[in-house]
Amino acid sequence: MSIVETPPPQGTAERPPSLLRRCAALLTSQQSILLVVLIAVMCFFDFHNSRFFSTSEFSNLIVDFCEAVLIAAAETYVIISGGIDLSVGSTVAVSGVVGAYVIQYLEGHHFGEVPSLLVGTLVCAGVGALVGIINALMITRARLVPFVATLVTLSAGEGLALVFSKGGTIGYDPVAAVWSATGFWIFTWLSVIVLVLTAILGIVLHVSRYGRYNFAIGSNPFAARAAGINVNRHVASVYILSGLLAGLTGMIFYFQTSGGAPQSGIGNELEAIAAVVIGGASLVGGAGRFTGTIIGVAILTVVHDGLTFINVATTWNEVVVAAFIALAVLLQSLSAGSKKLL
Amino acid sequence: MSVEREPILELRHISKSYGSVRALTDVSFRAYSGEVIGLVGDNGAGKSSLIKTISGVHNPDSGELFVDGVARHWKSPHDSMQAGIETLYQDSGLAPDLTIGSNIFLGRELLRRGVLGRLGFLDQKTMERRALEELEKVGITVPLSKRTVSQLSGGQRQAVAIGRAAMWAKHVIILDEPTNHLGARQSLEVLKVITAAKEQGLCVLFISHTLPHVLEVTDRIIVLRLGAVVRDAPTTEYTVESLLGTITGLSV
Repeated sequence: MSIVETPPPQGTAERPPSLLRRCAALLTSQQSILLVVLIAVMCFFDFHNSRFFSTSEFSNLIVDFCEAVLIAAAETYVIISGGIDLSVGSTVAVSGVVGAYVIQYLEGHHFGEVPSLLVGTLVCAGVGALVGIINALMITRARLVPFVATLVTLSAGEGLALVFSKGGTIGYDPVAAVWSATGFWIFTWLSVIVLVLTAILGIVLHVSRYGRYNFAIGSNPFAARAAGINVNRHVASVYILSGLLAGLTGMIFYFQTSGGAPQSGIGNELEAIAAVVIGGASLVGGAGRFTGTIIGVAILTVVHDGLTFINVATTWNEVVVAAFIALAVLLQSLSAGSKKLL
Repeated sequence: MSVEREPILELRHISKSYGSVRALTDVSFRAYSGEVIGLVGDNGAGKSSLIKTISGVHNPDSGELFVDGVARHWKSPHDSMQAGIETLYQDSGLAPDLTIGSNIFLGRELLRRGVLGRLGFLDQKTMERRALEELEKVGITVPLSKRTVSQLSGGQRQAVAIGRAAMWAKHVIILDEPTNHLGARQSLEVLKVITAAKEQGLCVLFISHTLPHVLEVTDRIIVLRLGAVVRDAPTTEYTVESLLGTITGLSV
């Protein structure tokens, strides 16, 4: 009997990680931990007031989630591309006010309720996109640092929202109010639209060429440029997308509050950035997960609503949010292989 | 090597000035397939200007450039890439947060078939698989457990970057200081990839300050001084001392 030779090991290549190891990696990923945290927080609130897990409370949560999720999604794109957009909050305000003004004008001129609302939505998106274009021009043409450029539009938007509205809420729109409350189970039709849009944004970020370029530019803009990617054009498009989503959020606030208020969305950029950071994206760009941001928004929404629910003064909200940011950053620094800290 | 062989890259009387500063003066040379050419010179000797001219970052003021026998005039780096020249700059490299496959196919992504592909959906599986295959062709085995480039060592990263250039280049790859900041063993990895690229029939322009590396891997060395070619000779005719003398202009 001849000795059967075992085939020599192939080069130095290792075998791909086993299924078990991949499952372990999935379970210890930041998203999984965040998901556990989210569920724990919800259980905590339910423990204190047993009606937290109820359809009425969940429909409230979804409404609040939808007010925050689009600008957080926008911020995810911007931050992964290596930038930051501070202007999303005041863009919500200014686009909502302008949209409300247009709707009030059209309805006053017998334009019909539904067409007026549709035109108003387009106007909101348009105003948001315009702010995005201004940001894009300042960043890609005038070569301003994104922080400074969007700080300019943050202040300008906040001021203009007050100027246009003279400080008060524009319009009272019962049709919008009624429609925004209709839906099925815990969802309103408005929230269904927002959730579908959010899902599309997540898919585009992670499986499309556009999303790939977003990561590449944030990771190494020189390499991206050398690979033939039009970096300026992409960066411009990201800020325009961000403005557009902030504009649409302005319309969501219009429906929710049945009017355009200059306070809507003010300061929400920090909440959006917090959600992205909690979600595990790197503030220097190149890394992040869309699902992380989504869970981040969910945690912030639950904390915000839950504190009210168990009768804790909402002034504590910021403190609790700060604790979650600290926790997220800690998780990031503990996770192996992550050299990129804040 | 037969004498009549067509050069894959030829520069004829290239001159370039930035304002009043003369960067290149009447530079001419020929480069052939399967040849590694060292491009050396002191700081300010014109190495960067020369590679930028070849790769289409800027155009020369006068002179002609031929690739594969055809006169070329670049409008952008994209044109030179189209013509089969890949350039690896010092600062460009790879995107550390992306997977190896994503880096190899950066800017040239493969899309899924059908409707999804039209919508811009990536065919990530095929890209990862083909990237590993192509890297293996130039002797690079990447550990499968290492997904993103940030998990690779400096030498592995540079090897992958050169592998990427070799995969996409039809004719010429230009490497600007590829062994900079690398340790001795890591540099060796990089030099191995350069040799593999040459054996695949590519012409490699190797720019480096590390003269032992240049002497080890090149077939021919072109020395630039003050924007002009001062010597163009087979590597066997140089020693570290004579090369240093030619670069500085101080005879040894």
